[in-house]
Amino acid sequence: MRALVIEDDPQLRAQVSQYLTEEGYAVDSAGDGDEGQFMALEYPIDLAVIDLGLPKTPGIAIIKAVRKAGRKFPILILTARDGWQSKVEGLEAGADDYLVKPFHREELLARARALVRRSGGWSQSLLECGPIVLDTTARNVNLSGKPVELTAYEYRVLEYLVLHAGEVVSKSTLTEHLYNEDEERDSNVIEVFVRRLRTKLDPDSTLNPITTLRGSGYRWDLPRNP
Amino acid sequence: MRSLRARLLLAATLVLLVFMMLTGAGLEQAFRSSAQQGQRDKMQALVYALLGAADAGENDVLTIPANALPDPRLSRVQSGLAALIFDAKGKVIWRSSNFEGQVPDLVAPKVGDTQFTEYDDQFALSYGVSWAADSSAHLFTTPKPRRYTVAVLEDKTPYRSQLGVFRRTLWISLGFAVSALLLLQLLVLRWGLAPLQRLAKELRRIESGEQASIESTYPDELMPLASGLNTMLQGERNQQSRYRNALDDLAHSLKTPLAVLRGLVDDKAADPALRERLRDPVGRIQEITDHQLRKAATAGRRSFAEPVRLRPLVEKISGALAKVYADKQPEFSFDMDDRLRARADEGDLYEMLGNLMDNAGKWCKKRIRVSARYAERKLHLCVEDDGPGFPAEADQLLQRGMRADSLTPGQGIGLGAVAEMVRAYDGSIALGRSELGGGKVDVALSV
Repeated sequence: MRALVIEDDPQLRAQVSQYLTEEGYAVDSAGDGDEGQFMALEYPIDLAVIDLGLPKTPGIAIIKAVRKAGRKFPILILTARDGWQSKVEGLEAGADDYLVKPFHREELLARARALVRRSGGWSQSLLECGPIVLDTTARNVNLSGKPVELTAYEYRVLEYLVLHAGEVVSKSTLTEHLYNEDEERDSNVIEVFVRRLRTKLDPDSTLNPITTLRGSGYRWDLPRNP
Repeated sequence: MRSLRARLLLAATLVLLVFMMLTGAGLEQAFRSSAQQGQRDKMQALVYALLGAADAGENDVLTIPANALPDPRLSRVQSGLAALIFDAKGKVIWRSSNFEGQVPDLVAPKVGDTQFTEYDDQFALSYGVSWAADSSAHLFTTPKPRRYTVAVLEDKTPYRSQLGVFRRTLWISLGFAVSALLLLQLLVLRWGLAPLQRLAKELRRIESGEQASIESTYPDELMPLASGLNTMLQGERNQQSRYRNALDDLAHSLKTPLAVLRGLVDDKAADPALRERLRDPVGRIQEITDHQLRKAATAGRRSFAEPVRLRPLVEKISGALAKVYADKQPEFSFDMDDRLRARADEGDLYEMLGNLMDNAGKWCKKRIRVSARYAERKLHLCVEDDGPGFPAEADQLLQRGMRADSLTPGQGIGLGAVAEMVRAYDGSIALGRSELGGGKVDVALSV
């Protein structure tokens, strides 16, 4: 998951970015509205955290521009005063949730998780597909009730595929959404992750949760539990 | 004298009454003197007629032969007209046959002079004359002229009744004229003061929130006042929004570093002892800034606040909350008149309804109901949900000074904020159980 943090205070920006990085997000950050708006429109974002009181382009304007451009990733707004007028304004402009400063780390992460999950069409924090269950809060995976050991990157790939179930996800899309700018990107690594995921989640090759579409990418094909 | 109209009316009435009195008195005086002049002329003519009929009687004394009387009334009993002739000594030497009663005490005028006297019941005109008998009757001697006084007396009754008729006619018509003038005055006043009344009515409508500014056109004299009032209203509202913007800036610049501090407290990599020591002061700073900023931002009850239509506001908030609680997809229902307007600050209404509806969204299963109405000069707002309802000690949430972090996150803070704002509106807030099954918050605001 790739998150964008637009916050003018450098310390808070660093803090929020750190929280999200620790949670397994690839994070881009911007210190003013103009830069933020550019990133929000151009980068492959899965979640944006936007402060409403920004220099240059205000937060509301960024949200409007993003929605006008047809980009649908969830947006969490940060407001300083619990002013409902600005909250309503932000949510009306196209944001999906709000958080009042100051906030707890857990609060921010819970909102972020819920938003990403919701954007994938899931209303529960447990993503259940047959015997495979992802707990997005604890960030662990169970197969038929038994925990599955996954590395952080393996989990990220799995979560991205499950949240985009039924869609064809290319290797480059996966690298774009999972790696930070400064990290070395090698699409071969993705193949390795997917192979390992298949072994760990489907040791008997009976489920076939991930389909490979030659030349275009991967697709999560396990239907979600009703 | 508190009413402008009463003042003007009283002054006009007094002036009119004095004018009527003076006019009446003047006219009456004029009529009286003209009537008396007429009387005098008439009597004078009778004196001349009597003298014309004069004849010498015994000893050449002046007398009027009974058959030569110039006016038949002089011989008719109680005709009201009588004549007397006195000699130089004031002794009556002739009287008309119908004269009865006492001889009046008349001053004898000089020869050729006329004396007109008004008594209680009659007029008297006496005329001094020097008269000699016709010399043709005396062959040898020329009779010496003698001094006489001819007096005519006339009863006052006809004069009085004439005066009475005049007076009655005069005062009745004056009375009518004054009443008509007063009525006219009243109409003129009403017409003239109507713009003032209209202005007052408009101000009342602004105060009651039915309109935002003075809109009608007024006469030139009132236009500066009306536009001045509009400027003032606008200025006050601008002031409020400037103030609020400044507060927003302040909040932003305070809370951002506070969020950093809060993050430090939560930072597991930091020194645990330091984190523990920081936790309490950071919590307190947060609490105090929250409380003070809210207190400063609450506009509270203001006269002439721009009226706010509640329905769109509530719909906006519910639209926003539908996103926040998208997992639940809460169903909002509204029970309020589409045209209902509240004369409260828009920001305050957002804050109160936002917090209450957010709370309901947080705790509801599915349904949220928002109702609003005016009753007994108060705005009643009610937010209900079908959630678990408030815990028994929930009333504590409404108390001032309740520590925000000792409450369930979200719930208490919002309610405490609303309770604080309600106080600024001289209102009341009560928690209860809704017929939907969950909690119910009733708020009454004096706006």
